[in-house]
Amino acid sequence: MGSSSNSEYSSRVKRMIEQTGSGIDEGSFPLKIFNDQDIYDAELRRIFARSWVYLGHMSEIEQPGDYVRRYIGEDPYILTRDETGQIQAFLDSCMHRGAQFCTADKGNTSHFRCPYHGWTYSNDGTLQGMPKKAEAYQGLDPEDVELESAYLDTFKGLIFGRIVDEGPSLEEYLGDFKWYLELILDPTEKGMTVVTDAHRWQANHNWKTSADNFGGDNYHVFATHQAAEETDDLDRGPWKKLPDNRRGEFNHLACTDNAAVSYQITNDRETYMGYPDDITEHFNSDLSEEQTELFRRSLFYFGTIFPNTTVVHAVQSGGWGGPWAAIRKWQPRGPGEVEVISWWLVPEEYEDNDAFMERSHRGWESLSAGGAFESDDLTIWEGISESTKSMTLDIRESKGNMQQGMDGMSDEVEILEDPMHGPGEVTTNGGFYDERGTRTLLSSWYEQMSREETGANSGEQ
Amino acid sequence: MRESTTPPRSDSVSPDTQHRVEQFLYAEAELLDTFQLKDWLALLTEDIMIKVPIRTYTHPGTEQSEFSENGYYLRDNYDMIRERVGRLKKSYAWSENPRSRIRHVIGNVRITEVTEESYTVTNNQHVYRSYGDTPENDTLSARRDTVLQRGEAGFKIADRTVFFEDSIVSTKNITLPLL
Ligand code: FES
Ligand SMILES: [Fe+2]
Repeated sequence: MGSSSNSEYSSRVKRMIEQTGSGIDEGSFPLKIFNDQDIYDAELRRIFARSWVYLGHMSEIEQPGDYVRRYIGEDPYILTRDETGQIQAFLDSCMHRGAQFCTADKGNTSHFRCPYHGWTYSNDGTLQGMPKKAEAYQGLDPEDVELESAYLDTFKGLIFGRIVDEGPSLEEYLGDFKWYLELILDPTEKGMTVVTDAHRWQANHNWKTSADNFGGDNYHVFATHQAAEETDDLDRGPWKKLPDNRRGEFNHLACTDNAAVSYQITNDRETYMGYPDDITEHFNSDLSEEQTELFRRSLFYFGTIFPNTTVVHAVQSGGWGGPWAAIRKWQPRGPGEVEVISWWLVPEEYEDNDAFMERSHRGWESLSAGGAFESDDLTIWEGISESTKSMTLDIRESKGNMQQGMDGMSDEVEILEDPMHGPGEVTTNGGFYDERGTRTLLSSWYEQMSREETGANSGEQ
Repeated sequence: MRESTTPPRSDSVSPDTQHRVEQFLYAEAELLDTFQLKDWLALLTEDIMIKVPIRTYTHPGTEQSEFSENGYYLRDNYDMIRERVGRLKKSYAWSENPRSRIRHVIGNVRITEVTEESYTVTNNQHVYRSYGDTPENDTLSARRDTVLQRGEAGFKIADRTVFFEDSIVSTKNITLPLL
C-alpha cells in the first residue's frame, strides 16, 4: 500500500485502533468500529488470517472423503478427512486459473475435479491429473502443484484453522479457557457429537455485535427477551430451582485472555441443566472435582472465544426447551453483515434418547432465526449496523459505553476466588452487571489489530 | 425429510372440493397477513405440528435429501405455537416490532391425498415482507404441505411443513405469520 490515499486510509484505521486500545481501561470504545469498511478490511487481514478460526467438529467428518465447506474470514475452505484419515483444509481455488471446484456445503468424495480445464485433486490436496498432460504439460511435475491449505489444530473434537502460521498454538491461545471449554463441550465420557445440519441465516449486523452479545451480555435479556421469558403455560424445568428475582446472585462471568463466558448456577447439586439424573453416571472422569461440581449446579453457559466462535450449553429459560449444546460461528460477510451458523451438539450418550432429543432440539431452536429468543435479537442488531455506519459517529469519534463492573459502578459485582469457578477472572453477578467480557474481547481485538503484519503482501510498509 | 413429487391428480377430487380447499387456504392466509393470530390459532388441531426443516446443498449426485430429517428452524406443537401467538401480541416482542407488512400469494394448490378424515394439500407460495420505514423487503419462496382435517364445522389444520427455497435464511427472522 503505497499511494497517498492508502496511507490516509491507514492512519484513519490506526486512529480507531488506538482509540479502542486506550478506551478499554476507561470503559469506552469507538462506536464506528461496528460498521466500517476500512476496519473490516483490516480485520480480515489482521484478525481472521492469523487467529484460530473455528472450522468444524470431528464428528462431522468421520469417514474418509467426508467434507464440509467452511470459511476463514471470507475465504472458502474445504474441510475434509483424506483417504489416510488425516484432517485437511484446502482453499477452494484451483492452482491453474483459480476456478472453484466445490459447490456443495457437504458431501463425500475422494477427489475434486476442477470444472474449468479438468485438473483433478485428490482429497489430500495433491494434483492427481490433468487432461492431455502428455500433449500440454510435458515438463510439469504434478507433485509441484498443491492446493493452498490452512494450518489446523484441534481441541476436544473442535477443529480450528488459520491462514498465517504465527502466534500461539491453539492450546496456548485458549489458555485458561480450556478449563471452561472442557466442562461446556466435553462433560461426558463419550464426548459430544454434532446432530444434524446447522441453522444458517444471513443477518445485517457486524460479527462483533453478536460475538460480544454471547460473550457475557445477560444484561440485554431483561429488555430484549422479556416477551419470550413471560410464557403463560410452559414448564420452566430446572429454572424453578432459582429463588424468584434472585437470578443475579447466581450469575457469574469468567474472563480469560481471549474469551469470556457467562453462566448461571443454582445451589442445587442436582440441577445439571435439566439432564436426566443418569448424567452423573456419564460424567467425564477427566473432569476435575471442581468442574464436575460446577456442571452439577449449572443452568447455562454462553461464551465467546475471540474472534468469532461462540459456545453454548444450556437449558432455556421460560420453558423453551433444552438442555442443548451449540457451537456458533459468526461468519463475516461484510462490515454490516454476517452469516450465522449454529451447530447443535449433544453428548453421545443421549443421541438415541428420543424424549431427550426432542427437548434438546427445542432449546436449540429457541436460538435459531425462527426461535422465540433469537428472533428478537436479530431485529435489534440490524439497527446497530444501520446506526454505526453513520458519519456523525465517524466525524465526532463518538464512544460507546462498557463501564459496567468498573470501580464505583456496582455493589453487586465482586471478584470471586473459588476453585469451583475455575482459573478465569470471575465476578459475581458478572453476566448481568459486568462488561468485563466486552472489554476482554475488545482487548484481544486491539492486540490483533495493532500487531504488525508480516505476510509478503501485508498492508504495512 | 423430502419434498414429495406429486403426480397430477386433477381428477381425484371434485371441483367443489378443490374450491373449498383453496378458499380455506386463502382465508387462512388473510388471517396471517393481518396478524389475526388468535383467530388463526382456532384453525389448528391440538395435535398439530408445524415444521420448517433446514435445507443444505449436498454434493452433486448424492441421493440424500436436501432437507434435514432431524433439524428444523421451527418444529412446534400446539402449546409452543400458542405461546408464540401470545408473545407476538406484546409490543416488546421485537421480532415483529416494527410489525412486518406481509402478503401471501398462494398458487399451484393440489390435493395429493384424500382419506375419510383429511385432505393433504400442497401449495406454492411467495410471501412478501416489508417492515419499518425503509425500502427494504424480502420475498420468501416456499412449498407448503398441509394436512386439513375434515369436520362438521369445516377444515382444521392438523399438520404443516414449510419447505423454503433458501438454504441460508435470508430474512431477518422467521415468525409465524410468514409461514
Ligand atoms: S482453472 Fe482449474 S483446471 Fe484450469
Ligand atoms: Fe439475546
